[in-house]
Amino acid sequence: MSLKPTNATASGPIDRLRLWLGGSYAPYLYIAPFFIVFLAFGFYPLAYAFQLSFTSWRGAGIPEFIGLENYTFLLQNDFFWNSIFNSAVLWVLIVPVQTLMAIFIASMLSRPLWFRSFFRVTFLIPYLVPLVAIAQVWLILFDSDFGAINTLLGAIGIEPIGWLTTGAWAKPTMALLVFWKNSGFAILIMLAAIQNIPLDVYEAAALDGANGFQKFFRITVPLLRRSISFYVIIATLGVLQMYAEPYVLTEGGPYNSTMTAGYALYRYTQNLDLGTGAANSFLLMIIVVILSAVMLKMMSGNDED
Amino acid sequence: MALEVKQPLSTSIAPQTRINRPRVRIGDLVTYAALLVLALFFLFPLAWMMLSSFKPGQQIASAPLYFDVSTFSLQNYEDMLANVPLWVGFKNTFIVILLKGGITLFFAPLAAYAFAKMRFRGRDLLFNILLATLMLPPIVMLIPLLLQMGALKWIDTFQALVLPGAIGAFYIFLMRQQIADIPDELMEAARIDGCNSFQTYWQIVIPIVRPALAALAILVFLDIYNDFVWPTLAIHSIDMQTLQVMLSYLYTQINNASVGTAGANAWGQVMAASSLATLPLLIVFIVLQRQFIKGIMAGALKG
Repeated sequence: MSLKPTNATASGPIDRLRLWLGGSYAPYLYIAPFFIVFLAFGFYPLAYAFQLSFTSWRGAGIPEFIGLENYTFLLQNDFFWNSIFNSAVLWVLIVPVQTLMAIFIASMLSRPLWFRSFFRVTFLIPYLVPLVAIAQVWLILFDSDFGAINTLLGAIGIEPIGWLTTGAWAKPTMALLVFWKNSGFAILIMLAAIQNIPLDVYEAAALDGANGFQKFFRITVPLLRRSISFYVIIATLGVLQMYAEPYVLTEGGPYNSTMTAGYALYRYTQNLDLGTGAANSFLLMIIVVILSAVMLKMMSGNDED
Repeated sequence: MALEVKQPLSTSIAPQTRINRPRVRIGDLVTYAALLVLALFFLFPLAWMMLSSFKPGQQIASAPLYFDVSTFSLQNYEDMLANVPLWVGFKNTFIVILLKGGITLFFAPLAAYAFAKMRFRGRDLLFNILLATLMLPPIVMLIPLLLQMGALKWIDTFQALVLPGAIGAFYIFLMRQQIADIPDELMEAARIDGCNSFQTYWQIVIPIVRPALAALAILVFLDIYNDFVWPTLAIHSIDMQTLQVMLSYLYTQINNASVGTAGANAWGQVMAASSLATLPLLIVFIVLQRQFIKGIMAGALKG
């Protein structure tokens, strides 16, 4: 770094310090608020949780050091693995379908169409709706006794389904909510990427006699690879940390079938089993960091070929 | 890490040169059909929510898909407001948006400016630390942060809602990209004119990045307005609760208080509250569509 001293004379140690820093204290002052807030409410709680994860503590008295016991307990614990499994199932239900759908819809919306901006706005509205508000609507629409969905199905002779009250249906119903809420966002990302594809690529393909289907799979999808990987990464991290959806819709039930990896942490604060909860947080963090690293690696690998 | 992904911040949603005049062909009919089905799927729950909020309570359960405009009234809204102090929730959320949003919008661009345009020892190291903090999954901090609030006696206070997560690293990262694009010559000229670094920031940088600031403001607004997880933990008293959490109380309260159809008869109140909570966002979205889409796109980078 080349440092340009603004004040030419450097006499005392204070001046020399300032020169060494680059001529001014101002930039440190500008960035200080972020670091203060982060140290106080980010780094400190994290370090504290790390320490706590090696203890047994129920919210009162002195935490008792128990080494790695919380971690070994969790790794042999069905509740922990079940929460990871639930998140994995939700991932399968949400991410692939949503990504594919977003690419299709975005490629439709990138062509001249009547009402194009109407569709674009409509698709984005769910993304703005507060999750809690729409979750209440879901609870009522999908109520097994009086919900509109079962009433509608009843009209064509289908028995009432326990959408949010049976282990088999709770995950798909929750996945549908996530799909409803976030698809517009996925479409927006893909649309922005498609509009960055130069038009002459398509024109050249058309000259070579490519049909719409070929253009889609030979040009659009490969050129969107970066955006697709990007979206898959955010969506995956989102699903892993999913917390509010189970909180409002099912409280993790029925029979823990919607107890996601993120929401499982909340259970420990309720039971005041804070040492185990902290250890679970760190296991989750390790999973998140490894997954992001692997996905980023795959993504940059994609760029090279 | 996830940040190396470059997405265009300026989402060129505006139609490009490829648009001339739409022609309707057979293949297009399939396209329109698909888009229409999807649009109905997206709009149905919202339309149902708003229409149901005006319906007589018992009809919502007995005839969920029947709407008779002549029976519409504001009864559900009145009952709901008598049940939960929703206005208090609005007020609390509004205060948090003012404080947390204000702090964030003041300090994040300032830090971004220092990182983008000033030279100082340790700059790159400090910026890399800032980027690394983005890798921490927020959910991991919840338990220790909650304990910290308890130790500080901050449960049920605005400090607890405002300070943790204020001046997010992500917002600084976002603004740094924008400020870095400003030509150095402009800064140099200001310095020669005798501006100090803050004056340069205030008089040169801020006016140039104003559109990006507007998008940032929308993003921050959305994040705070919709924040749900943290207030459920940090706030226990209903008088201090934010709007979103208050919404979730209402359904639980109604369902716990009454069983069977009695609970379902009060659903109109839930729909009234959900409609009220959604309305401000819809209004802001319709008025500020362009900034909104920019803000959401900017938020997309948040890996």
